[in-house]
Amino acid sequence: MIQYVAIILFVLGLYGLLVNRNVIKMVISLNIMEIGLNLFIISIGFVYDGIAPIITSSAGTGALIYVDPLPQALVLTAIVIGVGTTALALAIAKSIHVKHNTFDLNEVEETV
Amino acid sequence: MKNLLALFGSLLLALGIILALSNNTLFPSFGEADLSDRVSDEYLTQDEIDALGSANIVTSIVVGYRGFDTLGEVTVLFISSLGVALLLGSSAKQKRLELNFKPNFMLRVGSRALFGFILLTGIYIILHGHLTPGGGFPGGTMIASSILLLYLADDQFRAKIKSFKILEGVSGSLYVIVGLLGLLLATYFMQNFLPVGTVGDLLSAGVIPIIYILIGLKVGSEISGIIDNFLTEEEAK
Amino acid sequence: MNAVLLIAVPLIAAFLSIISKKIAPYLMLVVGLFNLILVFFIPEGFVIIGGFSQSLGINLLFDSFAKIALILVNSLVLIIFFLNIKKYGSYSSILLVALAGLNGLLLTNDLFNLFVFLEIAGIAAYLISTSNKKPTHTFHYLVLGVVGSSLYLFGLIILYAMFGTLNMVDLIGKIQLSGNYKNLILPFLLMFIGLGVEAKLLPFNSWVKGILGKSNTLSGPIFASVYAATIGFVLGRLINNLFMFEGSLLTVVIVILSVGILIGEAMAFASSKAREILLFSSVAQASIVALLFTNGIIIWAVYLIIANALSKLVLFLVINKATEDTGTDELDALQGLFSKNILVGITFTLASLSVMGLPLLAGFAIKLNFLTELASSNQIMLIAIILISTLVEGIYFVRMLVKLWYKGENEVSVKYNLSFKIVFVIIALALLVFGTYSTPLNKLDNSIDTIQEVVNNG
Repeated sequence: MIQYVAIILFVLGLYGLLVNRNVIKMVISLNIMEIGLNLFIISIGFVYDGIAPIITSSAGTGALIYVDPLPQALVLTAIVIGVGTTALALAIAKSIHVKHNTFDLNEVEETV
Repeated sequence: MKNLLALFGSLLLALGIILALSNNTLFPSFGEADLSDRVSDEYLTQDEIDALGSANIVTSIVVGYRGFDTLGEVTVLFISSLGVALLLGSSAKQKRLELNFKPNFMLRVGSRALFGFILLTGIYIILHGHLTPGGGFPGGTMIASSILLLYLADDQFRAKIKSFKILEGVSGSLYVIVGLLGLLLATYFMQNFLPVGTVGDLLSAGVIPIIYILIGLKVGSEISGIIDNFLTEEEAK
Repeated sequence: MNAVLLIAVPLIAAFLSIISKKIAPYLMLVVGLFNLILVFFIPEGFVIIGGFSQSLGINLLFDSFAKIALILVNSLVLIIFFLNIKKYGSYSSILLVALAGLNGLLLTNDLFNLFVFLEIAGIAAYLISTSNKKPTHTFHYLVLGVVGSSLYLFGLIILYAMFGTLNMVDLIGKIQLSGNYKNLILPFLLMFIGLGVEAKLLPFNSWVKGILGKSNTLSGPIFASVYAATIGFVLGRLINNLFMFEGSLLTVVIVILSVGILIGEAMAFASSKAREILLFSSVAQASIVALLFTNGIIIWAVYLIIANALSKLVLFLVINKATEDTGTDELDALQGLFSKNILVGITFTLASLSVMGLPLLAGFAIKLNFLTELASSNQIMLIAIILISTLVEGIYFVRMLVKLWYKGENEVSVKYNLSFKIVFVIIALALLVFGTYSTPLNKLDNSIDTIQEVVNNG
């Protein structure tokens, strides 16, 4: 179930990028896409009846089932990379505003 | 018209991905992942846990087994903050951005009290990265959020950005130096060269707490630098 | 000497360079030189990071394929920085991080590590593109780059869920044991499209027109030669060992690449601005390189990457310096550029003739060889497409050369420094030498990429 939600969020972010021409809304769509992707990554590590992969003193006897720790480590990296690119995108958005006085890419006069 | 096309395309893409994944014989369905097929099974064995000494297995992966990825991640944040400074911080004399709200006296004083608590929580999470969930990245962000609180609550506050830059540069280089020390003192880059201790103690897990402290300082100073760059503007002549 | 130093030393120099802005350019020169010299002293083999057993940690692989790529990329970055040190010295920290990222891309043997280095090199690229002073184009590039990386990560995660490992060698072994290719179509397609954004392949290359069309002497050569070469090598490594397209996915990929070649050449033909002609030619060449890797012609694709990187370096430097001095890159306004700069004109002509594939130049020897190999695998359609593209290339390059050599009404005066001229002469001589005496090129063969051997040996 959660994997469907993650894929829908990912595609929703892509749709937002295709449809919006406002720079800030494009940054938000980018973030939604990354959230969907991170949810998907975490969801492939889940094991039913698994516990968090932290060794505690209440380990007790019997075999313990842990959830997969590797996707969680990958998501940590992916979240931080997303933060870095969002900060840079917002700085570029501010310089677009300073240069063209608008956030809307349709209104920017492009001398391409 | 273009919106309709985009909507149609996105729905097609979502349907395509979901169908392809459900028809995939090797892709396990949600919750049915068999850890014995994956490399994570090795990370969870008692031998590997004792060899690294960290109680939090995710930390041992992030800083131990995949420490190189973490170095790359730290570099991504570094270059993003460098880019923000390049784009937004052109002149030397800068003053705070003129905003429409003016915070009052209670806000200014109360935020200073809160600042200490948030800072302390951030430091606690950084130090216990190998025992509880968290570590350098969330802890560093909390430290940065305490600085953001001071910025928001007081419209004349500016942190000392030059010292943040020096802290950022020094902690980043120390991270690479710790890796290089692993190359010199042990045989491989980023190998653990400190005693491991027992799992569950505060002073355990070798190099891992040290790396997390460096990461926490770096992340905190970088995000504070980014906040400062966004909330200042050029001095009007 | 350890291969990790190629990545660690630029990183530590970058971290230290922000403390003092004055020493940053000198740090970049020293580190660039150090990297270039270090590549020759590294022993071949795997480098394990962290001392864990091979499948648990991250490894780097240094073989002949990586060695050629590293020498090319490190020397190109050093040369481009040296030529631009006066005007763009403030970009040295960014170039240091870009150098680390590019070296990491070429060395790594772990797929998630590739993603991280792709992001590092990508963000460095966005920052270098801000030197064009066109924030809307940089924003467009950033959005496309992030979408591309996310698609790559999506494909990578599906592969991890299926096979349980991220190490390239282990993953290839497990894929070969599984045997059912239908399961792999979705993740491979996602990863290929994700890398194709940076590689200027067709569906997502709308950023190229903005970024390279307004480039300057720093960003133009960096994107057109350094980044193009690196992504070419990375795609080659992955297509040849991991993807190994077959069946319906192979048809889809070949169609995308062929259409990319034809559209790239058509748009270059239709353009009247010098930078646009060159960038569309780069787009077409990138698709040709990917096509060659898909057909298993590794060594000639590697030579094509090297020849393109060197030629495009000369072409972009000449045109971008002229644009900087005269303020425009319309071919009509640049008429007669070479009538005053004869040496530069000769080297520019040689470089563009090499891209076209005229005899006596390296481009001809390479083209002849890979067309022969394509013929021996009966790929008549592809040979036809490449010959058509060569014809179109010939037309627009000759048209451009004629306009640049013969004087128009306006006086065009552009001055090239001595260091520029020295670089141009060396590259033009290399292209001439390897074109006339191409036997050394036959010494290496497809075995420079050793991952398959490692997988087969267990």
